[in-house]
Amino acid sequence: MGVFGRPEKQLVALTVNGERHDVALEPRATLLEAVRYTLGLTGSKQGCDKGDCGACTVLIDGKPMLACLSLAIEAQGRAVTTIEGLAKDGKVSPVQDAFDVCGALQCGFCQSGMMLSATALLAKCEKPNREQIKDALAGNLCRCTGYTQILNAVEVASGQRSVAERDERPTTQAQAAAK
Amino acid sequence: MLTLPPFEYHAPMELADALALLQKHAGKVKLIAGGTDLVPNMKHRLFMPEHVVGLKQISELNGVRGEGGFLVIGAMTSIADLARNPRVALLFPSLARAATAIAGPQLREMGTLGGNLCLDTRCVYYNQTHFWRKALGYCLKKDGTVCHVVKGGQKCVAAASNDTAPVLLTLGASVELASPNGRRAIPLEEFYVADGVANTVIEPNEILTKVRVPIPRAGLVTGYQKLRIRAAIDYPSLCVAVAAQQQADGKLEWVRMVISALGSKPHTVKRLEGFQGRALDAATIAELGQAAHRQCHPLTNINVETGWRREMIPVFVRRAFAEAMK
Amino acid sequence: MSGVVGRRLRKLDSLKKATGEAVYADDISLPRMLHAKILRSPHAHARIKKVDFARALKHPGVMGVLEGKELPGKYGIIPWTQDETALAVNKALFIGDEVAAVAAVDELAAQEALELIDVEYEVLPALVEPEAALADKANVLHEGNKHGNVTKHVDLTFGDVEAALAKSAAVVEENFFYAGSTHTPIEPHCAVAQYDGEGNLTVWSSTQIPHYVHRELSKVLGIAPARVRVIQPFLGGAFGGKSDPFSLEFVVAKLAMKLGRPVKCLFTREEVFWAHRGRHPMKMRFKVGLSKEGAIEAVDSKILIDGGAYSSFGLVTAYYSGQLLTGPYQFGTYHFDSTRVFTNKPPCGPKRGHGSVQPRFAFEVALDMAAEKLGLDPIEVRRRNFIGQNVKTVNGQQITSNGFLQALEAVEKASGWKERKGKLGYGKGLGVAGSMYISGTAYPIYPNDMPQSGIQVKLDRSGKVTIFSGASDIGQGTNSQVAYLIAEEIGCDPRDCTVVAADTDLTPVDLGAYSSRGTFMVGIACVEAGQKLWALLSQAVGEKWGVSTEQVDASWGTFRGPQVDQQMSFRDAVQLTEAKFGTLGATGSYRTEKLGGDYRGGTIGASPAYSFTAHVAEVHVDVETGQWKVQRIWAAHDCGKAINPTLVEGQIEGSVYMGFGEAAMEEMTYYPSGLHKGPSLLDYRIPTSVDTPELSAMIIESVDPKGPHGAKEAGEGPLHPVIPAISNAIYDAVGVRFTELPFYPGQLFKMLKEKKA
Repeated sequence: MGVFGRPEKQLVALTVNGERHDVALEPRATLLEAVRYTLGLTGSKQGCDKGDCGACTVLIDGKPMLACLSLAIEAQGRAVTTIEGLAKDGKVSPVQDAFDVCGALQCGFCQSGMMLSATALLAKCEKPNREQIKDALAGNLCRCTGYTQILNAVEVASGQRSVAERDERPTTQAQAAAK
Repeated sequence: MLTLPPFEYHAPMELADALALLQKHAGKVKLIAGGTDLVPNMKHRLFMPEHVVGLKQISELNGVRGEGGFLVIGAMTSIADLARNPRVALLFPSLARAATAIAGPQLREMGTLGGNLCLDTRCVYYNQTHFWRKALGYCLKKDGTVCHVVKGGQKCVAAASNDTAPVLLTLGASVELASPNGRRAIPLEEFYVADGVANTVIEPNEILTKVRVPIPRAGLVTGYQKLRIRAAIDYPSLCVAVAAQQQADGKLEWVRMVISALGSKPHTVKRLEGFQGRALDAATIAELGQAAHRQCHPLTNINVETGWRREMIPVFVRRAFAEAMK
Repeated sequence: MSGVVGRRLRKLDSLKKATGEAVYADDISLPRMLHAKILRSPHAHARIKKVDFARALKHPGVMGVLEGKELPGKYGIIPWTQDETALAVNKALFIGDEVAAVAAVDELAAQEALELIDVEYEVLPALVEPEAALADKANVLHEGNKHGNVTKHVDLTFGDVEAALAKSAAVVEENFFYAGSTHTPIEPHCAVAQYDGEGNLTVWSSTQIPHYVHRELSKVLGIAPARVRVIQPFLGGAFGGKSDPFSLEFVVAKLAMKLGRPVKCLFTREEVFWAHRGRHPMKMRFKVGLSKEGAIEAVDSKILIDGGAYSSFGLVTAYYSGQLLTGPYQFGTYHFDSTRVFTNKPPCGPKRGHGSVQPRFAFEVALDMAAEKLGLDPIEVRRRNFIGQNVKTVNGQQITSNGFLQALEAVEKASGWKERKGKLGYGKGLGVAGSMYISGTAYPIYPNDMPQSGIQVKLDRSGKVTIFSGASDIGQGTNSQVAYLIAEEIGCDPRDCTVVAADTDLTPVDLGAYSSRGTFMVGIACVEAGQKLWALLSQAVGEKWGVSTEQVDASWGTFRGPQVDQQMSFRDAVQLTEAKFGTLGATGSYRTEKLGGDYRGGTIGASPAYSFTAHVAEVHVDVETGQWKVQRIWAAHDCGKAINPTLVEGQIEGSVYMGFGEAAMEEMTYYPSGLHKGPSLLDYRIPTSVDTPELSAMIIESVDPKGPHGAKEAGEGPLHPVIPAISNAIYDAVGVRFTELPFYPGQLFKMLKEKKA
C-alpha cells in the first residue's frame, strides 16, 4: 500500500522535451499533474479539468493531445513536448515569435496549448490556409483574442503574412552599448 | 483541479493478458483506450474502478487492413487516423466525415474507434461532478432512483452520442468481441440495446477488438450529418447517417438510415423495404426524411431544444443524401 | 517626443508567456504547502444548523478544517452593501455557496474529505426567479434587509418623458430579455497564502483588484493592513470575473494562519461557475419615441435585474443599467426605473461592459424598429442623433472627445453598407449599432480623497528603469503600457524598463482593473511621473551641453542636442543627473476631478472620458435550419489615441468575440431548484475558432483633451454593439427580430416557421 492506503506509487520514466525524468507517481496521476507539479513545467495550463478547453495541450509523439486526460504512466516510452520545449538553443520558435509580435498573447493562459496545436499543424502542413488553421485550433479555447491575432500569428509563422506594416524599432540600448 | 480517484494500473502486452485481468478483477475494473470518455467520467466519480487496464500496448488492436471482402479496423485505431485514412475516405466517405466531426483535434488524436463505439451514454443529468449530482438528487443511471428526463421513467434514456456508430450501422458493420472463452462476431445492429445504463451487449469480460465493414460494391452512396451548436468540441445533438445501394440503372437496391443522439440506442429507421426499386430522387429523399421524422422523438437528455432537433431530421436526411451523391 | 506611443510594439512580458516562464497563481508551489477545498451547499436556500468535521478530520492527509463562524466578518466590493462571508455563517444562499473548508496534503485527500463533512441543513424555499423574489416579503435572503429581496431600486427622470412620447411621430414599445452569461477566463481562480513567523500574511491571488483584496483580508482576518501583502501574479484572464474578493482568498489565509503552513486553493471549473459574478439577466421594457425627422424624443425603460444571491457590484449595476445609455445619441428626455433583486443563484456582478450591455441591446434594436417605422436608414438615424463633442448628456454626464461619427462612417464604408444594404437577397443581411462606455469612474468605490492610481519610477545608474505600478495587468497589456508611457516621457528604450506590478508591499495603490480605467488613469499617473523625471534629466543634460532644456530631446535610449555631436546614451544621462540631483525617482498619480450630475446617483456613470463604438455585422441565415453565421463584423472604436495599436485591436477583437458569444450561444441556465444546468466548458459553450466570425477592428482616434496622449478606454466599449448589430442584421436578412438572447438557431427556426404560417 502507498500513501493514505492508496495504491503504491510507481517509477515512471517520462521523456519530456527530450529529457528523461524518472519520477514516482500514483497511477492516477495525469500527465498534466506530472509535468506541472512533479516536473515543475508549469507552462502547460489547466482550465476546465476534463478535456473541454485545450489549455493543457502537449505534443505526444508530435501529435497534439490533452495532458489532463492522459495518464502519466501511459506516456512512458513516448516523446512529450511541452511549451518549454519549443525554444531551441535559447531561441524561441517561429510560432512563439509570431504569437508575440502579432499580439496573440493577451493573458497568455490558453496560449501554450494553442502554440503547440499550431506547431503540430505546421509540422504536417507548411502553408495552411485560414480554414485549416481554424480547424487545427478548434480544440483550444481562447477567451481574450477572438482568435484573430492568433490566426494571423500562424500565418506569420508559416510565412504567409508579413509584419512589414509594423514599425521597426531602433536597436536596444544594450545593443547600442555593445557596438 | 478535479482529481482522478485512486486505482491500480495494468498495461498488458497481449490481449489474453488483458482478458485475464478483466476476469481477475471482475466488477472492479475498467478498460482505458484513449481515455477521452473514461477519464472525465472518473473525474466525475461516475466510475471508481480499483483497476484500470490500458490497451495501448496491445498491437493486435491497431491497424486498418483489407481482409477478404472487408475492411478491418482495429479497435485502438485513433479517430484522427480513421479520419485521415485514404482507404476509409475512398470507400466510406460518411465514416471519414463522422470521424472528422468528432470533438476537437486533440480528442480525435487520443480517442479510438473502439472507444467511440463503446462510449458511455450521455445525459445532462449524468455527465456532471459528484457534487452536482448530489445537489440534483442523483438519477437512474447513477446512484439514484429517478429519471429527470422522463418523469416516472423506470428505464434510463441517456443518449447514444457516438458519431461513428450510426454510420457503421448504415454500412452493415460488425464487431468482434473477445473474451476468455474465445471470440464472437456480432452485427453492430445487435450490439446496441435500448438501455441507457449500459447500451451495448458487451459482457464485462469482453473486449471489442475490431470492426469489420463490408467493402462496398459500385453504386453505394453514404452520407453523414451532425447537428451541434458549436462547429467543434460538442457532442452531437442529432446524427443522421444514410447509405443507399444503387443498381446499375440507378434504382435503389436498399437504403438505410440511422438517426442518433436521441435515446440510448442509435435508431435504425424501420420499414424502408418499400423504397426498393425506386430512383433516389428528390421525392424519394423527401419521403425518406418523413419516414425518419415519424419514427424519431428526441428527448431532453441533451441540452438543445428537442422540437428543433426533431424538425431538423428531414432536413439533415436530405443534406446527407445530397452530400452522398456529390 | 520619443516615438514610443502609437507604435506597434511587442509587449514587455509576452515572450515569458510564449515560453511558459510566466508564473500564474497555480504555478506557485511553496515548501510544506497544503491544498484546500471548499464544501458547498447542495441546497439553494438553507439554514446551517450544524457542521460536524469529526469524520473529515480522521481522513488520512487532512491537516485542518475551517467553518463559517471562524470568519464571521462581512465583506464585499461595495462598502455599503457588504453581505458576504468567506464561508456561510447562518445560511447558504445558492447551490454552490461556500459552507466549510478543509486543508490536506494533496488535492485528492482534500476532495475526499469534503464528502466526510456532515452538515445539518434546514432547507428553506428557494427563490430562483426575480419576480418571485420581489413578491415574497416573508422569505428574505438577507435577513434584516429593509427592502426585502431588493438590492437596489433606482428611478431617475430627465425631462417630461410622457409629453415627449405623446408628440413623437414613431413610438416603439417592446420587451427584451438579456440572458445571464459568465466570463469564463481560461484560468480558474486560485490563491496561495503564507503566514510567516513574524506575523506577516502574504496572499498570491488571481485577482484583478489586489487593493480591495488587501483591505478586505485585513478587515475579515483582523490583522493590521500593514501586515498583509497581496500579490497578483500573471493572470489568466478575468473580464470582471476576478474583481470581487472571493472566498478562497480568505480561506487560504485563515488556514495558513491556523496551520502554520502555506495553503493553496485552486477552483475547479465548476467552482468558477459558482463564483460567477457574470452578466446580470435583465428583463427590460423599452419605449422609444422618435420625431418624424428621426430625433430621439424620449426613452423610457423599466428593468428587472436578476442579481443572484449577493450584492457584489449590484448597487452600481442598477445605476449603470440606466446611466450609461445616454450617448452617443442626444436624448430629448429620459426615464429609467431599474430594480436589482436577490435570487437563490450564483451572484451576478461586473462582466465586461458592466450593466450597460443589456440596455444597449434593447435600445439599439428598438431604435432600428422606430427608424423602420419612419422609413429611415439605420445608419442615418444614428448619424442624425449624434450628441457631439464637449456636451452634457441628458443625465448630466460630461462628454469630451467623441469620434462616434467617424466610427459610424468607417463601418459604413468598410461594410459597403450604401451599396449592399437591402441588396443581399433573402437570408443575408446587414445590421448596425453604436455605443458609449466609460474610461474609469470618476469616484473610487470607497470614499476617500487619495489618488485612484499611483506610479513610482526608480532610475538606476545602469540605465535600468524600474516602474512600480499598482495596476493589474490581466492580459490587456497594462504593464507594457506603463513602460511605453514612461519611456515616451523620459526617452529610454521601453525594453529597458522593469515593471514591478500589483504587489501591495512594493507598489503604490491602484484600484484595479475594472470600469476600463487602466489606460486613462494609470496612464495619467505615468505621464506625471515621467514628466517629473524628464525635468531633471533634461536639466542635467542641457547644462552639460550648454543648451536649454527644451533643446534636449531623447528617444529609445539616446539623448540628442541641437548639435550633431550632442548625443549621449540614456545611461550616461541618468548618471549625469544622479550626480547632480542625487538618487533618482519620481511618483505620479491620478486624482479624480469632480464630475457627474447634480442629483442622487448623478456621480455613478460619471467618467473623465467616454469611448464610442460603431459596428456593422453581416449575417447569413440558413433558412431551412435557423442556423445563422456572422460572415464578418466591422468594429470601429474611438479609443482617443492608440498607445499601441496592436493591443487596442486585440481589445476590440476580444470584445467583439465575447459579445458574439453572448448573442450566439452563451447562457447561464438553471433548473427550478436553482441548480445550474451545466457548469462546465462543455455545457456552457463559448465560441471556438471555427465558430467565431472574421473580425475587422478599426481604430478611431479622437484624441481626448484629458487622456494620456489623448487615450481613452478600449477594453469594454467595443463589446456593446455586437449583440444588437447581429439582431438587426438577422432582421434585415429574414424579417424576424430577436428580442431575447441568445439567438438560438432553434428559436430562429421557430420564428421563421411562425412567420410563414
